[in-house]
Amino acid sequence: MNEVMNISPAVEESTATGETSRTKARRWPGMSVVGALFIVLALLPLGISGSYYMHVLILTFVYVAIASSWRVVSISGQFNIAIGAFMGIGAYAAAIPSVWLHWPPWVTIPLGAVAATILGAALAFPFARLRTIYYAMGTLFLGYVVINLITAGGKTTGMSTGLGGVQPLFGDRRYYYYLTLGLMIVSMFSMYRFEFSRIGVRMKAVSQSHQVAASVGIGERRNRILAVAFGSFFAGLMGAVYCHYQGVASPSSYGLGATLWIIMYVLVGGINSFWGPAVGVGILMVIPEFFFRDLKGDLPYVTAAILLIIAFTMPEGIVGLLKLARDRVFARLRRKEVDLDASGG
Amino acid sequence: MLLEVEHLTKNFGGLSAVNDFDIQVAEGEIVGLIGPNGAGKSTVFNLITGVLPVTSGRVMFDGCDITRRQPEQVARLGIGRTFQLNPLFHEFTVLENVTSSFELHPYSSLFDIFFSTRKYRRNEAFIQEKAHEILELVGLSEEADELAKNLAHGHQKMLGVARALATKPRLLLLDEPLAGMNPGEIKYSLDAIRDMRANGMTVLIVEHNMQILSLCDRVVVIGFGKKITEGLPGEVRANAEVISAYFGADYVC
Repeated sequence: MNEVMNISPAVEESTATGETSRTKARRWPGMSVVGALFIVLALLPLGISGSYYMHVLILTFVYVAIASSWRVVSISGQFNIAIGAFMGIGAYAAAIPSVWLHWPPWVTIPLGAVAATILGAALAFPFARLRTIYYAMGTLFLGYVVINLITAGGKTTGMSTGLGGVQPLFGDRRYYYYLTLGLMIVSMFSMYRFEFSRIGVRMKAVSQSHQVAASVGIGERRNRILAVAFGSFFAGLMGAVYCHYQGVASPSSYGLGATLWIIMYVLVGGINSFWGPAVGVGILMVIPEFFFRDLKGDLPYVTAAILLIIAFTMPEGIVGLLKLARDRVFARLRRKEVDLDASGG
Repeated sequence: MLLEVEHLTKNFGGLSAVNDFDIQVAEGEIVGLIGPNGAGKSTVFNLITGVLPVTSGRVMFDGCDITRRQPEQVARLGIGRTFQLNPLFHEFTVLENVTSSFELHPYSSLFDIFFSTRKYRRNEAFIQEKAHEILELVGLSEEADELAKNLAHGHQKMLGVARALATKPRLLLLDEPLAGMNPGEIKYSLDAIRDMRANGMTVLIVEHNMQILSLCDRVVVIGFGKKITEGLPGEVRANAEVISAYFGADYVC
């Protein structure tokens, strides 16, 4: 009986406070938690001995930034099935001058980022006419075209075997760790500003209704191109850095498979949350590498199972689930306060 | 003349939706565009605002040719509009719907927004304040934090008007503001339009509800994409051609 009595006010509480806590929810999980996490990550190389784990974390930082860049484009209603190709554009724009012209990495990495941005904006121009599934299909084939161009590039791109001999940035892996960590933090910060400012409002407005958006002066094409250019910058940047780290750029890393993994990270973490992609990469990349290494060969099947479970039971992803849990806890705490007040008075 | 539409024509394939249509709206005037269903009223709106490309003809706004402009450019020039259906950003709150419509006044550049300069923060504070004022004006301040999709239909329409007002339009186009409203809401909306008139707003209203006539300075009647007649509300009401367009030729005595 008591429990039944308890359930109804809790439900009312959560609906009544749901909207007012929206501004709070945006700041979640709180800048202090994120700051603490960054400090731990900054100190981690002192504790981690094996360079393999260091490698996993570098990979993680790269993919957190790339997956987040995919999500930040998606808030404008564009589901880009060619994010891998944009990584590839960044990687090859850095690798080709590095290998053939011996340009230093400090020039080629920014070049990769800028090339991906410019090409992203140029390609977004015709694609801004397409919406929903047509946009997805269009970008899917765009990805194929980019990969085919790379493999058809002859000696310049190294064809399907890839282009080896890209100059390394550093000799020590630890420096790569700090470089990718730093770039990830800067990228995440930029994307946070992008999403939670008037720019993000414009993007979300365009994705909800381009007609209504146009009627108040928010142009669809302009904003969608801006979103793609912004997202491609980070994809290209991280693609270029990673290619210098690996010393090789190969087309197989940038095809549909790579794209689908990135989308998977976002979906598992939660497509409607800013931290969703980071959580998704953490769950699908870090945990298996650190704790379930025997699983490696079966990982795609396990991932597919996780994705199915999430799609059916928690469409908002892991972060959505955590938010729900937090709202429940807050509602319960608040109810306790109310009870205390009532008994006190 | 604030708005001058000349020889406006729109063909969808072989079908002529709007045919050689003229309309003028002077500053400070409230003009009604009425006609039966399917007469081409909403098409005229979509042609003026650039949502649909014009087949031939010319649209002038404040001496400037806007015939081939994109909808967002037309909005920036100062033509605000409401929509008959789905007039909102459904996933935004009521307040966010209004603040997102403040794009143009005051304007923050991408640089200001991204680096959160003092100018941007000041603009945002101004926008929040103004948005609350506008919600007060249309009587939605209670629902400010509600998601727009959860509003009742009449309230959604009022929010649509609030959104259009937030763009500070020089000309406001209302697309069937009374459709789907109950009598109480109709009365409320008519009062709201009367207020706009008192404030010197220029309004062009599309409607097939004849109650709107009482508010208009001038009424243009459209049927089958052509202008049937134009005149004072009283004249139009008595016009035999209008009655035949609405009810069929048999009803004309």
